[in-house]
Amino acid sequence: MMKTDVRKGLWISFFVLPGLLVVTLFILLPLFMSLFNSLFSWNQLLRGAFVGLENFRKIFSGYPYRERFLNALGNNAKWFLLTMLIQNTIGILFGYLLSRRLPGHGFFKRIFFIPVLFSIVAVGFLWGLYLKPTGLVNAALRLMGLGAYARAWLGQEEIATLSIIAVNIWRWVGFPSLVFLAAVDAVPADCLEAAYLDGVGEWTLFWRIVFPLIIPSVTVISVLTIIGSLNVFEQVYTMTGLDGSPNFSTDTIGTLFYRTAFGSVDSGNPEIGIGSAIGVIIYSLTFIASIVSIISTRSREVEL
Amino acid sequence: MSIKKILLIGIGLLVAATVFAAGGKDQSGASTAETSAQMKQAVVNFWTWRPEDVEGYDKLIAIFESQNPGIKIVQTAHKNTEYNTILSAALSGGSGPDVFQSRAYGGLETFAQSGYMEPLETWVPELKDFSPASRRGASSIKDGKIYGVPFASQTLFVYFNQAMYTKLGLKVPQTWDQFLANLQAMKAAGIQPLANGGKDGWTLEVLLGAIAPNFYGANDFFDAVVKGQTNFKDPRFVESIRKLGELKPFMPDLFMGTSYTDMQSSFINEQAGHFIGGSFEAGYFSKQNPDLKFDFFPGPAAKAGAPNYVSTYADGNFSMNPTSANKEEVAKFLRFLAGKTTGDLFINEFKQVSSVPGVDTSRSPFIAKVLQVQQYNTPYVFLVGFRYQQPTGSVLAQAALQGMMAGKLSAEEVCQQIQEGIASYYEPFRK
Amino acid sequence: MTTDLRYQRGRLLRNTLILLFQTAMIIYVVLIFYPLFNMVISSLKSTREIFQDPFGLPKAPRLANFRVVWVDKGFGIYFMNSFIVTAVSMVFVVLFGSMASFGISRYAYKARTLVYMLFLSGIMLPLKAAIIPLFILIKNLGLMDRQLSVILIFLAMGLPSTVFILSAFMKGIPRDLEYAARIDGCNDWMVYRMVIMPITAPAIALVTIYNAVPIWNDFFFPLVFLQSNRLKTVPVGLSSFFGQHSTDWSLLFTGLSIAILPMLILYLFMSRYFIRGMTAGAIK
Repeated sequence: MMKTDVRKGLWISFFVLPGLLVVTLFILLPLFMSLFNSLFSWNQLLRGAFVGLENFRKIFSGYPYRERFLNALGNNAKWFLLTMLIQNTIGILFGYLLSRRLPGHGFFKRIFFIPVLFSIVAVGFLWGLYLKPTGLVNAALRLMGLGAYARAWLGQEEIATLSIIAVNIWRWVGFPSLVFLAAVDAVPADCLEAAYLDGVGEWTLFWRIVFPLIIPSVTVISVLTIIGSLNVFEQVYTMTGLDGSPNFSTDTIGTLFYRTAFGSVDSGNPEIGIGSAIGVIIYSLTFIASIVSIISTRSREVEL
Repeated sequence: MSIKKILLIGIGLLVAATVFAAGGKDQSGASTAETSAQMKQAVVNFWTWRPEDVEGYDKLIAIFESQNPGIKIVQTAHKNTEYNTILSAALSGGSGPDVFQSRAYGGLETFAQSGYMEPLETWVPELKDFSPASRRGASSIKDGKIYGVPFASQTLFVYFNQAMYTKLGLKVPQTWDQFLANLQAMKAAGIQPLANGGKDGWTLEVLLGAIAPNFYGANDFFDAVVKGQTNFKDPRFVESIRKLGELKPFMPDLFMGTSYTDMQSSFINEQAGHFIGGSFEAGYFSKQNPDLKFDFFPGPAAKAGAPNYVSTYADGNFSMNPTSANKEEVAKFLRFLAGKTTGDLFINEFKQVSSVPGVDTSRSPFIAKVLQVQQYNTPYVFLVGFRYQQPTGSVLAQAALQGMMAGKLSAEEVCQQIQEGIASYYEPFRK
Repeated sequence: MTTDLRYQRGRLLRNTLILLFQTAMIIYVVLIFYPLFNMVISSLKSTREIFQDPFGLPKAPRLANFRVVWVDKGFGIYFMNSFIVTAVSMVFVVLFGSMASFGISRYAYKARTLVYMLFLSGIMLPLKAAIIPLFILIKNLGLMDRQLSVILIFLAMGLPSTVFILSAFMKGIPRDLEYAARIDGCNDWMVYRMVIMPITAPAIALVTIYNAVPIWNDFFFPLVFLQSNRLKTVPVGLSSFFGQHSTDWSLLFTGLSIAILPMLILYLFMSRYFIRGMTAGAIK
């Protein structure tokens, strides 16, 4: 009996340990270390004294960190809101329409997914060229006689972030569309048919029957949107640069973290303590978002 | 099915095994090469942020290696924008190159104060002959020691297209009003007068460096502001910022979207008549368009007859890693980099103003002219004086100038923001 | 599904709405294809032509750029590197991930939930934010500037979601199969290999695509850990290429075409698997 237990233990270890070792070493350890680093003061690249939560206090109350951090966080919030509002709404609409087998739905489904596969870097650079003052977008507007609407899409404070978000929606809207399509397809057909036979309108059908049943997908997509919005980096890096130019209007926590942790030519010296603290904040926000999602999906599943 | 799967996994593992084996071999190969090299040759790893200059440095290295048969220099060039990340990570990770290009001023301070740079006065005696301005860029403000061999200085001024000037019969302007008149003449002739835009904040700081000193009173103001005797809300400084705004009508359509590379290509392709930039551009201009006839003039003066000041700064240095196993050899290489051969190569190959004292400029009229306009030079204000702490003067100025150029901030507000930001840490402002 | 019912009941308002939505979808299709099409035709033009006639077809198509970018600018090598890194990472993501899922889902023991949670803790956390300690770790392991560094990181990043999907799948496999195999004298490895893995194959296909696309496209980790030009992957190579040739639009569009088109062609052949793979993780 004892012997089989040992054997079983060995087998379990054999199966689980390789993966666990990699995850511990390359995810959990660095995570823990950045938390550790964030509690120290840093003299340039050298770890100094233990300062507790001082770095966090600075981020939330000291000049210029507070201003930069809140500005960046505000932009992340903008990313979240607009992505939810525009991208995910279009996603639900497209997903629902595709599930109703409109003519050409198989074609649309395949095409919508194409940009999802492209790397953010390539997409960012491509649209970076198109959105220049002399680029394709303004040329198209002029061609259509809408020259008055030509803009410095990535150079004007009011619209730079919006332009980058629009590019990201272009790249990514196929993803929620297909997730919602799969979710609507999974709704039992007899539910829908019964509703049809009762003469329920399309609008009521969607809100009363389909939407409640796809709420788990809605939650998943919302959480992915929160996480994605907190981690915006490459999009800004490729289109307006690390400094979140112009005048910090496109800065996000991701670019702020990078600049703070590594320094840059113009922004000066790296501040590893503050940088690590920003990293920890990114983690915590992501973590909270994931937990909330898991809990809320669980309770919803029970309700259904 | 099962056989197919086994085959697939087998192929996968085979690929993996070959990759790892190759990796392993690679390493063992390198280490045996290293051990055998240690008997005959010392290997010195050398990093730069100039992928564009790899070939030029190869020439330099070839000369050095022929003079020093026992030393082998291995050059690695990283992309400019990622150099800091990679270097600081490598050095803080406990390794890194033996010799590396390092930034001047505040960028040097980081590495020097972290102990990642060797003080060089005793290793490289030639340093005492370098100009005080270039040594300043290689010294730590904390301990005053020199941590690098300066390689080049940069000067900011106004490039113009000579063919356009000839065609429109324009004269090189000496004053601001003449300059504006020239810009106006080009605009009237349907030529884009100025290539500059505002998408990349640092090009606006360059604009400030080229134009503003002649309005804020160059060195008088610089010395006073560094000592805290005046500040950035000084009316002279505000006025100089306001002058930058007067250039807006001559910038390209939607200039807030015009990036640095857009500026370069419009000047290179002769679509714009002026380009306000630095001496570091000339080599690239001629390389991209050998037919382009261009020249430059220093920032226009406020009044006729007043001297035309240019902002100058040390571009960077070559520094030694204190943990290098081959310090003697590194020092030899650094002394070579501080010598005439290197100086000549910088001038003739890179078209850069070498910091090496007493180099021969006869083969490069451009460099000779840069040295000539440098007779009235003033430090590039934010880089030289205010890039040591967060938020740096550069970051503040770049963001605020973007605000002003977009019509969001007035010149007063720009200066207010710069002043407040720097005052948050700069002791002389806090008295 | 219920389509036919709906069309019979179609009214004018609804038909207009459907037309409207259909138009919206067609517009999006155009918005996807035209920029890609323009990218390709621009790569065949000279830079001057791109500016003067951004919409026109190239007057004298120049294919020479493609050779320059693929051979001289090293995109061929970048592709090879991306391929090696992605393939090796995926082999181990699948191997270690399925083994761990087996160890979690097919045994009952006390630490099981803990092990599962340890794996899951990494599922959505942005590893980018821990780049400094990660860097020091890679440095200490002597893996700087070696492909193994990013392979290990991608492996770590891929495992959580793989364990999440596969262990859920494996839990659903009836015990009887396993008992039967054991009676025939199979040990645990053979059960995993001969019984569970063949049944799990469809889920493995999903996991592969779900992980391979982000690994292929990842920019940040190769940027930081692979410094030699001969090791760069496509996104990083593209980034430094953009830095070096920023004023030559013709060449830039060629680089973009070379980075984007192979993925597009591969997708057109395998779209079914791609769609299933990418949506699998989210639905479950």
